[in-house]
Amino acid sequence: MKLASRLALAAAIVLASAAAAAQERVVRIGVAMPISGPGSYFGVMDKEGIELALEQLKGTVNGYKLQVQYEDSACSPLQATNVVKRLLDQFKPHIVIGEECSDASLAIAPILNEAKVVQLNVGSVTMKLTESGYKYTFRIFPNAEQQSAPLVKVAHDVLKARTAVILHEKTNAGNDNAEGFKKPFEASGGKVLATIDFGRDVNDFTAIATRIASLGKVDVLPTFALEGQQVRLSQALAQAKVVKGGGGSGVQMGSIWLPYGYDQKAGEASVGYVRIVQFDPTERRKMVQDFVSAFKAKYGQDKVPTHINAHAYDAILLIAEAVRRGAHDSESIRDAFSKFKDVEVTTGRITFDPKGQNADLSVVHFVETQKDLSWKALSWQ
Amino acid sequence: MSDLAALVVQQSLNGVYLGCLYVMVALGLTLIYGVLNQINFAHADFVTVGAFTAFFTVTRLATKLLGLPDTAAYLLSIVAAFGMGALLGLAINAAVFAPLRERGDELRPLIATIGVSVLLENAQLALFGPIPYQFDSPFARETLRFGRIFFSAQSALVVCVSAAAIAALYAFLRFTFLGKALRAVAQDRETAGLMGINPGLLIGLTIVIASALAGMAGALLGPVLVLSPFAGASVIVKAFAIVIIGGFGNLQGTIIAGILVGIIEAFTVQYLGSGLIDLVVFILLLAMLVARPTGLIAERKEENV
Repeated sequence: MKLASRLALAAAIVLASAAAAAQERVVRIGVAMPISGPGSYFGVMDKEGIELALEQLKGTVNGYKLQVQYEDSACSPLQATNVVKRLLDQFKPHIVIGEECSDASLAIAPILNEAKVVQLNVGSVTMKLTESGYKYTFRIFPNAEQQSAPLVKVAHDVLKARTAVILHEKTNAGNDNAEGFKKPFEASGGKVLATIDFGRDVNDFTAIATRIASLGKVDVLPTFALEGQQVRLSQALAQAKVVKGGGGSGVQMGSIWLPYGYDQKAGEASVGYVRIVQFDPTERRKMVQDFVSAFKAKYGQDKVPTHINAHAYDAILLIAEAVRRGAHDSESIRDAFSKFKDVEVTTGRITFDPKGQNADLSVVHFVETQKDLSWKALSWQ
Repeated sequence: MSDLAALVVQQSLNGVYLGCLYVMVALGLTLIYGVLNQINFAHADFVTVGAFTAFFTVTRLATKLLGLPDTAAYLLSIVAAFGMGALLGLAINAAVFAPLRERGDELRPLIATIGVSVLLENAQLALFGPIPYQFDSPFARETLRFGRIFFSAQSALVVCVSAAAIAALYAFLRFTFLGKALRAVAQDRETAGLMGINPGLLIGLTIVIASALAGMAGALLGPVLVLSPFAGASVIVKAFAIVIIGGFGNLQGTIIAGILVGIIEAFTVQYLGSGLIDLVVFILLLAMLVARPTGLIAERKEENV
């Protein structure tokens, strides 16, 4: 009897352990994105991309459930810090996707690295994120240098630009992009007539456009700002006859920051706008077209996915790929990421360099806004 | 016209336009302060409500249901935003501010404005989502050019509507019985009550007028702002600064300060850099607080409002 009881107890313990082990087959993904505040559209689009990817994967990869917890980091370094600390305390993530805004991404990087939890960044450009020696930080979004260098090349070699006015928001991201353009442009013999920065609370750009019009002939105007400000800026520059969209001669140039749909919002003012894009919904690659179709099926036929949707979708695909390769915790996800080579996603192919920055820019290309506001893909990259 | 003269005229016009936008936002703030001695932290959200009302009036009601042309639709949207602001002011005063005032507490109504702000912001977030809307005014597409000077028809409209609103408000306060009664309440609420004026009613009217002006400001700002539930917040700090520079509660001071700040901003962009706008404006604010705490127009309570 005693022996039978002991055997039953042992069996119960074994079963309970097995059940617990089965329950533990979870990869916990924290998502720290802005859901409130002026940058909240990032969070909404990120969630759309993530939810679509999870739905397609049916939430499970290689026997591991992908468990996601969203937190609102509000594009704010302080809130992002608090959110990540809470995630680490309560949710205990194996990986955190975030943040979109450079300042907030920089704030959470040391915390995640200290906790040895992988940070997968999908939307910040600041150089510092992957230049600070963080071992657990990876980024699929092209950094400031990767975005600015091709802009300089195209401005100088293709557009034959010799003068420029750089416009950028006053953030880590804007500053880095502006510096990334200024130095090589001047090194190649170009002259930067002015570098004009502005806060995210600036709404009216008429005075700025007037100032630019008073500077004389400007060949190119590289612009680094969020979509809302870009739209107003383009319209003001067109009104002042500075850019092609308003009958001027200057070419406004934009970075990957701008989501698809900017041209329709800015209207005629955007005609002649040259921008670098990574995710192009018109790209013929099967993966892109499958994603666009699935996105429309889920969210509405009139809704075209933006690069923000695509990058978030890709983040889940990359985690799934790591899990497929046997990863199941922070260390193994980090190791798997480090070994990634040409992993295909909607925004190209991912190969992380030793600093954690995606080094592959094979799908990055230029587009020019046409009179009917469509894109004409240019093979300048 | 020389290059410099053209530039000075152009930036001055830009500044006047910007100043008029600020004045439209600041008028309601200063009106409420002038009568109630209270700061309304929810004012930015009334501006945002006005902007959304105008947006949906243009895009849904006026063009699709009524079949109006773009320009008429936008003009109608300004009226709609004015009306929505008034209705919202009426409702919130009746539901929140008036009951708190009746308890004779001064701090609670102030805190209640913060609560109303959070409530309106989150209600709009739930209703409209966080993704910015693109609100285009047909007047913004038309550029008026006089030689080398240019401005959009929207700028001209903003200046005209602002001037009309200021004139109407001035005429209301100076020449109508209600306006005179309102000024009496602003000067001395208790004495006005003894003279047969109902202060509660007049305070309610003040909130309705201020909210209506905020709504109208939203309609004018809508095509300028990045239209999201947080849109109003981007101009409210500047509006507070203008109210302080002008002299708390003083309408004339607010108008002068608003135009002045607009012009200073335009010339700061031209000669110092746009990144220094806030620095310059707030140095002016601090200098004013130190050197002339009463604001541009010295505070004489009986002349406020």
